[in-house]
Amino acid sequence: MDERTSVKKPGRLAAATRYLADQALDGLVAASNGLNNFLESNAVYVFSGVRPIGESAVVLDRDGASTLIVTPAWDEARAAAASSTDRTIGADDLATTLKSAVGAHSLDLSRTISVGLSLLGGALADRMTSALGALPKAADELARDLARLRTPDELAAAEHATWIAERGYERLLEYARPGIREFELAAELYCFMKKLGAEDNFLLMSASQHNLAVRAAGERILDVGDIILSEITPCYRGQFAQICRTTVLGAPRPVIGEKFAILQDAMGEGLRAGRAGATVADVTRAINGVIAKAGYGDYCRPPYMRVRGHGLGITSDRPGDIVDTNTRVLESGMIFVMHPNQYIPESGYLMCGEPVVVTDNGARALSARPAALDVIAV
Amino acid sequence: MLTVQPCVTIGSYVWAQDRLPYDEFTLRLDELRAAMDRNGWPAVLVYGDVREHAALAYLSSFIPRVRWGMALLPRTGDARVLCAMSTRDLPAMRTLTWIADVRSGMGPEWVNAFDPWFERFKGDQAQKLGTLSFDIMAPVLQAAVRRSLGERFVLQRADDVVAIPARRKRPRELTMMRASCKLLEAAARAFAESWRDNHEPETAALDAERVARSLAAQDVRTLVSLDGGRTLIPFQGRFEKCAGPLVGYLAAKVLGYWADMFITVDDDSVADAARHAEAALDAVIANMRPGARADALHAKAVGALAPYKLHPALGGSIGHGIGLSLHEGPEFRASADATLVEDGVYTLQVGAADAKAGNALTSAIVRVAAKGAEVLVRSRPQAR
Repeated sequence: MDERTSVKKPGRLAAATRYLADQALDGLVAASNGLNNFLESNAVYVFSGVRPIGESAVVLDRDGASTLIVTPAWDEARAAAASSTDRTIGADDLATTLKSAVGAHSLDLSRTISVGLSLLGGALADRMTSALGALPKAADELARDLARLRTPDELAAAEHATWIAERGYERLLEYARPGIREFELAAELYCFMKKLGAEDNFLLMSASQHNLAVRAAGERILDVGDIILSEITPCYRGQFAQICRTTVLGAPRPVIGEKFAILQDAMGEGLRAGRAGATVADVTRAINGVIAKAGYGDYCRPPYMRVRGHGLGITSDRPGDIVDTNTRVLESGMIFVMHPNQYIPESGYLMCGEPVVVTDNGARALSARPAALDVIAV
Repeated sequence: MLTVQPCVTIGSYVWAQDRLPYDEFTLRLDELRAAMDRNGWPAVLVYGDVREHAALAYLSSFIPRVRWGMALLPRTGDARVLCAMSTRDLPAMRTLTWIADVRSGMGPEWVNAFDPWFERFKGDQAQKLGTLSFDIMAPVLQAAVRRSLGERFVLQRADDVVAIPARRKRPRELTMMRASCKLLEAAARAFAESWRDNHEPETAALDAERVARSLAAQDVRTLVSLDGGRTLIPFQGRFEKCAGPLVGYLAAKVLGYWADMFITVDDDSVADAARHAEAALDAVIANMRPGARADALHAKAVGALAPYKLHPALGGSIGHGIGLSLHEGPEFRASADATLVEDGVYTLQVGAADAKAGNALTSAIVRVAAKGAEVLVRSRPQAR
C-alpha cells in the first residue's frame, strides 16, 4: 500500500460536500499549522491525505471541487502526488494564496465554514483575516466528526502501526540492558520502528526503581531493578497506534507482579465495557472500579494517572479522552488506546495499554500479545 | 529548511547546568530587564511551542516537547513556567528549566496557574506587560490569556524592542553550536557512507539519524531526493532505490542548538553543478564579516552559480541565522538589507539547479568573527 494510492480518500471530501449541501453552505476552509499532535485531528490530512510540512489549507466548495495549498512552495510536487484534492498549489504565502483559491472557488465567506483556523499562529490568522476580509465561521469539530469511524484502509493502517509497535517492543526487550542511557534505548527503538515504516512516533520511554509517571527518555543510565515504562506510539499512513508496556531489568520484587495484575484486570473490564452503544464514561468506570476494588480508588486521579486512554490522531481523535466525564457514545469502528496506567504506592507507576477498535461485543485489542509484566534477565 | 514536525521530540532533554549554569541566565535576563525598565513593564510573558521556542529556551531553558510552554518573567520576584502538560508530568518538566515554579497550564489548571501570579502587579491603573513570541500563539490561547488578564493589564509586543535570542551568540552558545556541528559532521559521514554501501536514500538518512540520536541529539530532521536532487521530500518510509547522486539534508539539535547541512555525493553526473555550488559557497564565506550586507552575499552566490540557477528548494535564500531556532533571522535574500554581526552564526545554503546538468546542494555553518569567518562545519564535495 503506497502513500500515493492509499491516501486517496475522496470519501472524506464527499462526506464534507454532502455536509455543505445539507447545511446550505457554500464552502469549507480547513487549515493546519503544520504541527502534528497525536492526540488531535489534522484537518488538512483528513481532507487531502497529505501530512503537511508547514501551514496549509484545503478549500472545498459546494460542488465538491477542492484545492490543497501547502507551504513551503517547494513541497508542491510531493503534496500533489499524494493529495486527494483536485488541485494542489505550493506557496510561500498561505494567506494570499488562500484568498486566490477562495476566489477561484467563488466562495461566499458568509456561508463558508472553517476547521483549524483557530489553531494557526496569531500572526498568520491576522494575515488571513486581512486577506480574506473576515474569517469563515469556525466548525472545528467537523473533520474529527466526519473521520470518527476508521475506513477499512485506515483500520488496516492502524493494525500495521500496532504491528510495528509490537516489533518495537520486542526490540526493547532485546536491546535494553544495565549501563545504557535512556536516550540510547529510545534512539534505537525510534529508528528501528522508522525502518519498519513508522513515519512518526510518540515515544515516551523512561525508567526508575520507583516511577512516578512515564516521561520522555533522558540521560539516566539503566540499572538492575529498574522498571522501564514505555508508551510506544508509531504512526503508519496517518494512523497512530499505542501500546503501553512495563518491563523489569532483572528479577522483579513480587509486589510488582501483584500490582501489575490489577492493571491487567482493569484492562479486561475495560475491553468488555467498550462495546458500541456504551459511553466513554462507562468504560472509565469499569476500569476505575477494578482499581478501586483493589484499594486504590483515591489514586484514580492526577497526578497518579492522567486518563484511562484517549483517541488517536491524526485523522480523528474521537472518542476523546477516556474519563468519567466524557459521555460520548462509542460506535463500531472507533479506535482509541485503552490504558489503565496507574501509580500505586507499593510499586510506582505501571503501564498496561492496547489500541482497541470498538465492536458490537466490546473493544477488540489490535495488538497480538496483551501487555504482561516482562522481565529482562541480567 | 522546513521539515515535517514530529509529534514529540525524543532525545536527551535536561537543563544542563554544567554547560548553561544559572548565572548564564541571569546575564541573559539582564538585557530583558533593561527593556522592562525602559518600557515600564513589570513582567514579560514569553511563549514557545514545540516547533518554535527560541525566546523561551533562551530565557528559561524550557523547551516544550509537545504543545506549548510560557515563562512569566517578573522584573523582580520569582518567575513561573506554565506548560501544556498534565500535573502528572510536572516532575519531568521541572528538570528542563532553572525556574523552580513549573505548573500545568492545561484545562481547569490554567486559571489557577496563571491568574494569581499577576496579583502582585495590580494597581489603580491598567499595567502594561511585555510579550515575546505571541505571534505564533494560537488565537484560542491568546483569547484565554486576555480573558484571564481582563482589563487589569495591557499586552505590548516586546519582539520589536528586544531581540531575543540576541543575534550575537554568547560565548557559551558558541560552545554549544560547536558541539552541534561536531555531532552533525559525524551523522553526515554516516549518511554518505550508508549510501556508498548501496543503501537507498531513506535508509542512508535513517542511518545518519541513528548516529545523531545515539550521540544525544535532541531532534533530528532529514530530507532526501528521489529524483536526482530536483526535489526534496521528508521521510516516507518507502525506501525506494533511485538513480543519480545522493542529495539530502540533515539537521540535528544538541542541548537546544541546531546545526544543519546539505549533502551531495556525486555519482559523476553532477560534477559541474557541484563545482559551481562549491564556488558559490566559497564566494559567500570569503565575504562574510561584520557589517556585510545579506543582499550583497546573495549576489555573490548567484554570480558564482551562473549559468546555474539557485536551487528552488532554497526559496530564493542563500542562508539565515541558526541557533536555538533552526531558522533564525536574517534571511539572505536578493532584497535583504540586514547586515551580519560579529559572533553571529549563520547557515549558508547554496544549490545549483539545471534541468539537464543536474542539481547539487551544499552548505556551511559560519561564525562571523572580527576579521572574517570561522567555518564551524561544511559539507564537502564527495564522490561515490
